[in-house]
Amino acid sequence: MIYLDNAATTLIKPLTVSRAVLHAMQTMASPGRGAHEPAMKAAETVFLCRREAAELFNVPEPEQIVFTMNATHGLNIAINSLVQPGTKVLVSGYEHNSVTRPLTEKGAEIRVASSPLFDSRGILAAFEKELPWAELVVCTHVSNVFGFILPIYEIAELCHKRGVPLIVDASQAAGVLDVDYSRLGAEFIAMPGHKGLFGPQGTGILICAGECKPLLSGGSGTDSIIQHMPEYLPDRLEAGTHNVCGIAGLLEGIRFLRQKGLKEIFSHETALLMRMFEQLDQVKGLELFTEACRAQSGVLSLRSDRINCEDLASALSDRGVCVRTGLHCAPYAHRSAGTLDSGTVRFSFSPFNTEEEVDACCQFIKDLL
Amino acid sequence: MMQYLIMCRSMTYAQRSAAMLERAGISARVVKAPQGLSSSGCGYGVSLYRRFDEARNLLKKNGLLNGKIFYRDDDEEFREIN
Repeated sequence: MIYLDNAATTLIKPLTVSRAVLHAMQTMASPGRGAHEPAMKAAETVFLCRREAAELFNVPEPEQIVFTMNATHGLNIAINSLVQPGTKVLVSGYEHNSVTRPLTEKGAEIRVASSPLFDSRGILAAFEKELPWAELVVCTHVSNVFGFILPIYEIAELCHKRGVPLIVDASQAAGVLDVDYSRLGAEFIAMPGHKGLFGPQGTGILICAGECKPLLSGGSGTDSIIQHMPEYLPDRLEAGTHNVCGIAGLLEGIRFLRQKGLKEIFSHETALLMRMFEQLDQVKGLELFTEACRAQSGVLSLRSDRINCEDLASALSDRGVCVRTGLHCAPYAHRSAGTLDSGTVRFSFSPFNTEEEVDACCQFIKDLL
Repeated sequence: MMQYLIMCRSMTYAQRSAAMLERAGISARVVKAPQGLSSSGCGYGVSLYRRFDEARNLLKKNGLLNGKIFYRDDDEEFREIN
């Protein structure tokens, strides 16, 4: 199998991750729900993961790290905290449905800071133009379809100058790029645990500045007499039993990538992308969405005028190559790139992919076309 | 021996406090507080037997002292330190 769907979930994880999950299943109970050894062991693991994540994302206090089910869960908490019906929300043209659907459900007035694909200056100019209108900005750091790295620090600076709060969707950036909470100064940063952080599915992190509204209410293990969620983080946003096994795996995933280094991971993934681009660039009837610039992570989308995206992905799947096709839950991004009618086939890399895998995949594509 | 119990806002704060004390060489552990010590129900704190003044000052300096403090000698009931 050649697994190139890492932007959805990194399937190949460090071995330490699955070992930690199994160990947690066998030895750990519920954190904050007792003083016996399995409960305290669980609590320690959860705390260590908070601390490790806080260090990775330059978050001052570990309690600002809130564990969620996934990035969508985190984004829903963030949007639920800051959006009322009619709130004027400015988004990029590369948002995922996990941003735009909750905004729509909440009755927000959405405006798009439109810009062409891979146009960093254009997107900054669009944000600058529309910001006076906005009461909130929600922006992805990296497009999940095209790997387009948005100038998020510059966008954050524009927001600060205007006093507009910012929510960052770091789903495709966490574990690959420097996501620096203190530098961004965002109200919330949401991310999954199961992509670049190498945790299991069902894990996610929401970094919170402070003010927030719980999406769920229930047991927190503390202040049990009071009939509303505690005012303090992380308890305020963590109702019910934690996914301790998942968090134990996530801890090992974060440890792995911190040891390996984000720069090395990014370089490896973008080198594989360039290798694929070089082999497919001259293939007739193939359109590759890439630019020889620094504004792209290890995600490459393409489409062909000879075979539709679903058939191409299906044929690749028959040859053991796992990719994602369609609209990738991101119609805004496809509209921005002009691919809404066809969708694209997306190839996304991880530190565990090799040059040989890329070469084999390219050969399959050439054979199919 | 005198036991001190520094109540914390939550499990996470108790863990932060214990980690900070440990880094300073002060032996402390996270414990679930006996019912009755917290007016709002279940609570956690750090328990220690030695270097209490030093521990209290360190936690105060770092903004981690936000709950009541209790002490007891051997099997006595906990009493609050004002």
